[in-house]
Amino acid sequence: MMQWAWLIPVFCFAAMPVIVIFGKHLPSKGALLSILAIAGGFVVFWFVLGSWLDAVPGVTKGCFTSENTGLLTCNYETSWFNAGVIGAAGSVSLYWGILIDPLTIAMLGLVTFVALMVQIYSMAYMKGDPRFGWYFAVHSLFAAAMLTLVLADNFLLLYVAWELVGICSYLLIGFWHERRSAREAAKKAFIVTRIGDVGLLVGILLIWRDVGSFSMLDAFEAVRTGAMSEGVATASAILLFLGAMGKSAQIPFHVWLPDAMEGPTPVSALIHAATMVIAGVYLVARAFPIFEAYDADALLIVAIVGLATALMAATIALVATDLKRILAYSTISHLGLMMLSLGAFGYTAAVFHLMAHGFSKALLFLGAGSVLHSTEFQETGEMGGLRKVMPITAIVFSLGALSLGGIPILAGFWSKDEILVAVNDNRNVAFIVLTLITALLSALYMARAMFIVFFGELKDQNRHAHESPPAMVVPMVLLGVLALGFGLISFNWPGSYGGFGTFLYFEHGEAFHFEYWLGAVSIVMAVAAFYFAYMVYVKRNVSLENTRSRFAGILKVVENKYYFDEVYQWTIDRIVLVFSGFIAFFDRAIVNDVLVNGPADVVREFGIRMRLHVTGHVYSYTLVMAAGTIGLGIFVWTRAV
Amino acid sequence: MVDLVWFQLLSAALFVIGIYGVMARRSAVLIIMSIELMLNAVNINLIAAASHLEGTGSFAAFDGQLIAIFIVTVAAAEVGLALAIILRMFRNKSTVNVDEINLMKW
Repeated sequence: MMQWAWLIPVFCFAAMPVIVIFGKHLPSKGALLSILAIAGGFVVFWFVLGSWLDAVPGVTKGCFTSENTGLLTCNYETSWFNAGVIGAAGSVSLYWGILIDPLTIAMLGLVTFVALMVQIYSMAYMKGDPRFGWYFAVHSLFAAAMLTLVLADNFLLLYVAWELVGICSYLLIGFWHERRSAREAAKKAFIVTRIGDVGLLVGILLIWRDVGSFSMLDAFEAVRTGAMSEGVATASAILLFLGAMGKSAQIPFHVWLPDAMEGPTPVSALIHAATMVIAGVYLVARAFPIFEAYDADALLIVAIVGLATALMAATIALVATDLKRILAYSTISHLGLMMLSLGAFGYTAAVFHLMAHGFSKALLFLGAGSVLHSTEFQETGEMGGLRKVMPITAIVFSLGALSLGGIPILAGFWSKDEILVAVNDNRNVAFIVLTLITALLSALYMARAMFIVFFGELKDQNRHAHESPPAMVVPMVLLGVLALGFGLISFNWPGSYGGFGTFLYFEHGEAFHFEYWLGAVSIVMAVAAFYFAYMVYVKRNVSLENTRSRFAGILKVVENKYYFDEVYQWTIDRIVLVFSGFIAFFDRAIVNDVLVNGPADVVREFGIRMRLHVTGHVYSYTLVMAAGTIGLGIFVWTRAV
Repeated sequence: MVDLVWFQLLSAALFVIGIYGVMARRSAVLIIMSIELMLNAVNINLIAAASHLEGTGSFAAFDGQLIAIFIVTVAAAEVGLALAIILRMFRNKSTVNVDEINLMKW
């Protein structure tokens, strides 16, 4: 069954053109077809998971135990195209195929499930939109691209899917392109991620140059046997990470993600939970053998960037007032945590957190969408007390918030704790302290968003608000169940499969472990944060005005998102535009006016002067002819004598 | 026997008169006549040279006569053509003054 896993993206790929061409004639303008395609993918995922569990290394076709990860890995590939003769490499034949290991399976499950939920939700959310069919067509392509990305067994196919994901996010962020801000946000997302993609492409080519193949397995093999030197491994890891930084919104490429809120809210749910931003984390996890080769220097960079991103975004999320922006910065912060976890050798923890965060964040965004749908407000200041009018949304949103805030037994608690353990074990004390601060901030801003929006007094302007239709509520509830219970799969329950750590690991499996003092600290912090937020935003016993005025300077910096956008704008205006203005001048003045028009002008001037001899008078021609003949005669005569 | 140089002087004189005619005359017919004069000046030169070389046994003696006959032939054809052009010109422009026929200039 596993060799048929390629069907999962193919369903969605096939749905896209059908919806675009025949959308008008399909039931519900193609939305059902799109949902059917992704649901088909979800079904195939279960078969793939089942046959992977049954597979035996060396016996099942294409399956073996990876020397790098120690995991049962299945690889099926087929000839793609012949790239002709390239330099010293000679004739290059390219293969494409699928690689199935627990990482792929985990991602397949996450992507198909979240995309399915988001699409069902979108049926109601996007109802009446003039481009309803197009929305679902792009959604299908988006899911297909992401599924190809996680299935790809070679870097070239991965790169193709990577760019497809980028273009789909561009299309969806700019979905309401009548709005200027949406167009600009879409362009920003595309261009900022493109900057990182250059690094990714160079990294892939560097690996290809060294290994002679785009295949990931070949690359990992080369790293393991030492055929790839330390310099190349580190350089290509850093270049790959550059691509991951762009997609996963790490400092300094994080600026596109908050602006991506211009798209419809379900799109944000998809981008933040299942596609796009997690592609970067997936890439680092997938190429982990290259990152951790030799001294794992690249991983230190990953850890530092991740930690800086997590901390920076968490502080911004704490002061943001737009509900979707709070969630966006929260995503950036958690992506930072995942990167940090990878950087601290916490492979399992990172993927676990990726999934726990994916379910929770999809839930939060769908909840936020439900709120926006019903109140039409986006500023948290305009909301409050909404639990009275939309109870189910309030409950599931709170589940998501508590999960990301790290309240025990919810999914986010277990995964965050695994990250803390990994950081504590493998990085020094500064890392663990800052990670704990990030965790505290994460609980605080989630509590703040939850309490401001759903608790307290209901404002008069929101009295008409009502619970969303079932098509929106059901996906939220299903995601809510996962946000609540997903963390429990990390344990080795009696009679179960041995826990997440023995399913997905790097080099050797390990059972779920729990550092008691860390767990205690994180529980205390999370509960304290939620209690504090409750006091501030619901009971209003504690006023923050004094603190606000005392730290007004810092607050201003944070509220302005550390002036990243301003610095970029300044750089673009003052440096990039001036430089390109100079280049444009050079092009106009030198290349165009002198080199291209110059010869033409000379010839024209010459012609204007030369044509004057053509007088039209016979005698002038005769005179010249006679003079010429005489001159020629004299010339010949003098030569002859 | 008359010296060769006299023939050549006569030829040169006729040629220069021809050139003068081409340059000074306005009428296309007279210009044609001047050209004919120049052609015949050349012919005299050639025949004189050929006659001068006669009896020396040089084969070059025939050249002058040959070319002279060619020139006569070509001149006849050329006059026919030129007069036809002038005729058409006169039909269109009602004049044969070449100063007024100056369309083909800058």
